[in-house]
Amino acid sequence: MNSNELKTAALGAGTATMIARAARSAGSVDDLIARIKSTDDTVRGPAWQNADSYGAPAVKSLAQVMTDPDFEIARAAKRALWKIVRYAGRPGGAGEAKAVTAQLIPLLATRPAPVRREVLWMLSEIAGDEAVTPMTALLSDAEVRDDARCALTRMPGDKVTAALKQAMGLVPEGFKFALADSLRSRGEKVAGYPSRKLVPTKQTSVKAIG
Amino acid sequence: MTVRPRRLARRDFLKTSALALGASTFSLPTLIPARALGANERLTLGHVGVGGMGSYHLGYMLDRRNNPGDVSVAAVCDVDENRLATAIKRVGAGGTPYRDYRYLIERKDIDAVVFATPDHWHGVHMVHAAQCGKHVYVEKPACCTVEEGKAMIAAANAHRVCVQVGSQGRSQHDAYKAHLYIANGMLGRVRRVTCWHYASPADTHPVPDSEPPPELDWDLWLGPLAWRRYNRRYCPGTFRWVMESGGGQIRDRGAHVMSCALHFMDADYTGPVSIETKGTVPTQGLWDTAIDMEVTYEFKNPDWTLVWAQPGEPVPYPNQNHKERQKGYGAVYHGDQDQLVVWGGDGGTWTEAKATQFEKPPGGVDVPQSPRFDHHQDWFDGIKTGRRTIMNIEAGVCVAFLCVLGNLSLLLGRKLQWDPVKREILGDEEARRLMRRPQRYPYVL
Repeated sequence: MNSNELKTAALGAGTATMIARAARSAGSVDDLIARIKSTDDTVRGPAWQNADSYGAPAVKSLAQVMTDPDFEIARAAKRALWKIVRYAGRPGGAGEAKAVTAQLIPLLATRPAPVRREVLWMLSEIAGDEAVTPMTALLSDAEVRDDARCALTRMPGDKVTAALKQAMGLVPEGFKFALADSLRSRGEKVAGYPSRKLVPTKQTSVKAIG
Repeated sequence: MTVRPRRLARRDFLKTSALALGASTFSLPTLIPARALGANERLTLGHVGVGGMGSYHLGYMLDRRNNPGDVSVAAVCDVDENRLATAIKRVGAGGTPYRDYRYLIERKDIDAVVFATPDHWHGVHMVHAAQCGKHVYVEKPACCTVEEGKAMIAAANAHRVCVQVGSQGRSQHDAYKAHLYIANGMLGRVRRVTCWHYASPADTHPVPDSEPPPELDWDLWLGPLAWRRYNRRYCPGTFRWVMESGGGQIRDRGAHVMSCALHFMDADYTGPVSIETKGTVPTQGLWDTAIDMEVTYEFKNPDWTLVWAQPGEPVPYPNQNHKERQKGYGAVYHGDQDQLVVWGGDGGTWTEAKATQFEKPPGGVDVPQSPRFDHHQDWFDGIKTGRRTIMNIEAGVCVAFLCVLGNLSLLLGRKLQWDPVKREILGDEEARRLMRRPQRYPYVL
């Protein structure tokens, strides 16, 4: 199927399965990226919506497009990546999840914070212990540290708990309250750092009547 | 019987949470009872979220403040200063405006709080209010995640507060009659309920992220959600079309129409064993909820099937003179002897004449009925008598789980298996992780 045929198929209603099959037969990550970068929504939309089975080989390239200056192209790349993550996380897809995780971990060093943030949440769904150390490192990253905490909190396992405990000694004082909350939600005892969730902080400028 | 809520004083809370064995359990000895309410005592209310449905709730309570005068409105709260200014004018002298709901829920003179905020706030708001000893009316859907729902039930039970979830459809007259009709076997055995609803919108003119308007506290609007930049497509109102904050039609009207379905099928507090969703989402723009979708829920013991469909197979209301009844959503109850159509399912709920004219036969089955078919009144009665409300938190959570699981199946692109007793997903590690969405600090459960 050539690209014109692919585009025509994309325009057809109710042809998602056909497009997915076509995308897989078209096959190459370069082709996927080209369609994701299209300014034509009728090309770009079906491309990200059927990106699921491109898997680990497409992760790095899609992450690069997540910083595209055209916000719709960047969004399409992000959503394509989510499709890959959620497909890889299916029951029976452990090998694929591991491969995608391996590609995601280096992206935690990507400079734009929104990419790091998104990757943390992706890892929270499919990653195993291999991602704990690099994710924990971002607890020191002021821009995304609370996303790192949330992502780790969602993940099961003793390694996560141990990493969160260890981080209590490393993170800034003000962030320890959040970290303590994560540890308590995992059944850990934490001395000090009581919850601030019920402490009001924000004042209105609206005045009462009379 | 008078409900005596247990209030967790802030000082005690701060002290005990440092010692807590787990943040989700607060069965600690420092709980103290809040003041009791007499049957004829005036209820003092606070309102959090005063736009949209919140404006409607405020209007209802202000009317009631004047006649019969059994409530007073002590405070209003919103993260949008313009909305807050409008609301405090309506309340008049004696009301206090707040931006931060935590000032409101820590007030000892406030008995109960109405929350009409975007969905992503419902769980945190309800749990925090319960921990402060407040009775709660919280808009539907009750929750956005399984973890939130369980925490809401636990908080309501632990602090003995009365909660009404805003799926008011089951309080309506025709809903009562439809329920009575079905419960008395007039359709025979009902094995299938099919809902229909018009499609969700797609954003065909996406806009880039930008600075929030000066009147909006974006940090407080986001609350528990992960940080991201403001975009005009988030709010006001349009949060409904964003999966994280609104969840689409299924979490809006689905929480009404399927609330009626669980109620009529005597399936409150239960859940399906499997959930499978097919659907399409917008190809562009911020909004990411399904435009059209079909969710099939299989229930066991008794076996029946519930289908949520956008658009599904709409059944027009037969009398064209009733324009207000052409609502574009409803459900058909398919029995082995007959079927029954229920149009709407929210504040506007209508059914067929054969059901509205039906009277319970001697020895027939009765079904719950809200006093004066008024959802708010049912809440007040629940507060003052201690009985369960018609849409109590556990019922509300079970309905919200249908919405949450339907969307989760859509997001993951696969069928889910659900344990309706333990209320957890089975056999899918990624989906199990998605039963919770850890929240941005300090807006945590």
